[in-house]
Parts: sequence; structure tokens; C-alpha cells
Amino acid sequence: MEYGVATLTQGLIATWTLVAVASLALGLLLYVALRGRTRRVDLEKAIQAFRSLDIEGFRNLVDSDEEAFLRDNLSPKKFREIKRQRVWAAFIYAREAGRAATALAKVGQAAQRSSDPEIAASGLQVAESAFRLRLQTIAACIHLLTEVVLPSLQSRSLPPLADQYERTAETLFRFGRFSSGRPGLVSR
Amino acid sequence: MLPTNWHALLSLSLWISPHALLGVLAIVLYRRRIYRGFPVFFAYVLYETAEFLLLFALRSVPGVSAKVYLYAYSATLLLSIALRFGVIEEVSKQLFRESQFLRVSAKRSLLCIQGLLLVMGVVLAVYAPSSNSFRLVAGIVVVSRGAAMVQCGLLLSLLLFSRFLGLSWRRPAFGITLGLGILTSVDLAVYAVRAGFAPGVGAEFLNFLTTGTYLVCVLIWIGYLLAPEHQPVSLTAVSRDEVETWNTELQHLLRD
Repeated sequence: MEYGVATLTQGLIATWTLVAVASLALGLLLYVALRGRTRRVDLEKAIQAFRSLDIEGFRNLVDSDEEAFLRDNLSPKKFREIKRQRVWAAFIYAREAGRAATALAKVGQAAQRSSDPEIAASGLQVAESAFRLRLQTIAACIHLLTEVVLPSLQSRSLPPLADQYERTAETLFRFGRFSSGRPGLVSR
Repeated sequence: MLPTNWHALLSLSLWISPHALLGVLAIVLYRRRIYRGFPVFFAYVLYETAEFLLLFALRSVPGVSAKVYLYAYSATLLLSIALRFGVIEEVSKQLFRESQFLRVSAKRSLLCIQGLLLVMGVVLAVYAPSSNSFRLVAGIVVVSRGAAMVQCGLLLSLLLFSRFLGLSWRRPAFGITLGLGILTSVDLAVYAVRAGFAPGVGAEFLNFLTTGTYLVCVLIWIGYLLAPEHQPVSLTAVSRDEVETWNTELQHLLRD
């Protein structure tokens, strides 16, 4: 009898969990579809986001020597508090760089459809590079979020990412000069 | 033999209308030569139409028993599930076709997701079996529920991948993915309820929901396939020099 009730309860929980998951999936599908229709690639906005980044500040935030210094000179509680703040700030940098890479990927894909084969070939390379950069920023964001949750973890330094930010920022500024006054791109 | 009450009439029209529209969809796919890019989807559309004709004929012929109908329904449903997996594979190839890098890395990620979803489907089948006393029906419901879960998860992953990576969809591929995504998510909920409760509980409502959703999805497919492809506005906005600049800089970034 008890076994039967337990099985029934288990079945009901599974059923309603699946119904909830399906409803959530449906909601997400519709959100992505409707949001995608109106989303435009705003390059100017991406440039603005990069302008607000302080690359030296970012390097400092992810510097392992700096972290070791703080660990040695602060109480464990204070260290965790400060580290959380530093890592969160670094996460915001990575997120903004990722957004710029997404915009760049769209530019590359749009160029790929050009009737000029040279532009199309360059567009392909731009898109490929942007996808790589986007995945790197996603990986960096996951890494940084882990450190927000577990601040006591010994963090690895992310200097290549810092260099990447710097170069991307330069690229964005350059592109900003080229593209000023031009309209945004339609995403699909 | 026409049904006499409005429930039965609505049920019948919701069963017939999406399949009639699938015939229209097949013509659109053929006339616009879209079937060349989406051969599996074209096969799926033709198969669904043929399946409907077979089941409708079996239901209409008086001498056919319910058991024969059930066997035919189960067999055709399994093939339909297999074809849907093929359609998902096809749209994912379309989505990643322009990037060698993504073809490799995204395929690996999708395989991982698929493996994870399959394990979840098996665990679910073991721990939450169907309450239906007829074994064939119970088995079909559990398999359909698991397949709907995997397919829904894969389609959602594709949409989220494209959003996070900034991938551009071609209009037909997006329409197919959206329609199939809606269909599989509603299927997941419907099969979960069918597996969890005794047969007959809300059966009429569930039938309306399934056939109504199918109608909406077929309309989405037709709408997206008939709508013209967006012309890339960016061609006037991005000059060759600009693209080259982006390219050179990104190559520098990724070498480090």
C-alpha cells in the first residue's frame, strides 16, 4: 500500500515537473523568436561599451600576484569579500567583450553574403575569429562566476584575455571611425 | 459517416486541416526549390501527409479493428520521431554550415547535450513509467515522452547557441526550428500527462491541444517558407576595408 502511494506520488511529481519544463521551454522558444525579430546589431553601442572599459584596471583585477598580496595581508573574511567584488567587476568586463564579439560575428556573417568574393572571404574569417572570441569570453565568464561563488579558490591569471580586450577595444575604436553615421545591422 | 456533435466535428477538422496544409507546404517546398536545402524536412512533410492518409483510411474503413489501428499508429509514430531527429540534424547543419570552427565545436557540444538528454529520458522511463495498463500504449507514450524531451532540448539548445554566438539564421531554417520546437514542447507536456494519469483523463482536451498546436506549427512553417529572405542590409554598411580591419585585428587577438 505504502509502496503504491509512493510510486503514485513519484509519478505525479515527474509529470508536473515535465509539464513545467515543457512550459518553460515553450516560453523560452517564443521569447527567443520574438526578441530575435526586433534585435538589431548596434555597433555604436558595442563601441561605447568598450570605451567604458579600463584595461589596466581589468589586468589588475585578474592579476594573480595582486591576489596573493591581498590574501597575505587581509583577514580571510575580508579577503573573500574583496575578491568577490574584484571578480564580479572582471566578469562585467568579460561580458561586455562578449557582447562586442557577438556584434562582430553578425558583421562577419553579413559580409559573407556579399557578392564580392573578397569581402565574402574576409567576412568568413571575421566571423570565425569572432565566434572563437565569443566562446573564450563565455569560458572566462563561467570561470569568473565560479570564483564569485568560491572566492577562496586560487585563481589563475587571465593575462591573454586582458590583451585580447585591449586589442578588441582598439579594433572597435577603429571600426567606430570607419562606420560613423552608418545605420545598424538587421540581425536576421 | 460524419460526426454529429461539435466536439467530434472540431476534433476531426483539427486532425484534417494541418495535414491538408502540409500538402500545401510540400508544394511550396517543391515549387521554391527549398527541398534541395532541406531534403529531410521535405521527406518529413511528405511522410506526415502519407501517414495521415493511411490512418484516416484505417479509421474510416468499418472492418478495421482498433487493435490494427493502434499498431499502425504506433509504427508510423516511431518513424515520425526518427524523421524529426533527422530534421533537427539538418537545421543544425544549416546553422553551422558557414563556420568550420563551429561545425566541429558546436557538433561536439550538441552531442554532449543529446547524450545528457538521452540519459534523462532513460532515467525518466525507469522511474516514472506510464500508468496505462495496455503495455504497447504505455511503451509508446514513454518513448514519445523521452523523444519529445530530447528533441525539445536540442532545438532549444540550437536557438540559445545562435543567440549567444550571434549566429544568423536563414529564414526557412529558423521557421522549421521554431515550429518543431513549439510542437515538441507541447508534445512533451501532453505525453507527460498521458503517461502520468489514467487513460481517458482529459483525453479530449489533450487531443485538441495536440492537433491545434500542430495546425499552428504548420502555419508557422508555411509563413516562414513563403516570406522572402532578408537581404543583408549590412552590405551597404560594411565596406571591404572595414571587414579586413576586423579580420586582421581578430587574427591578432586569437594568436595570443
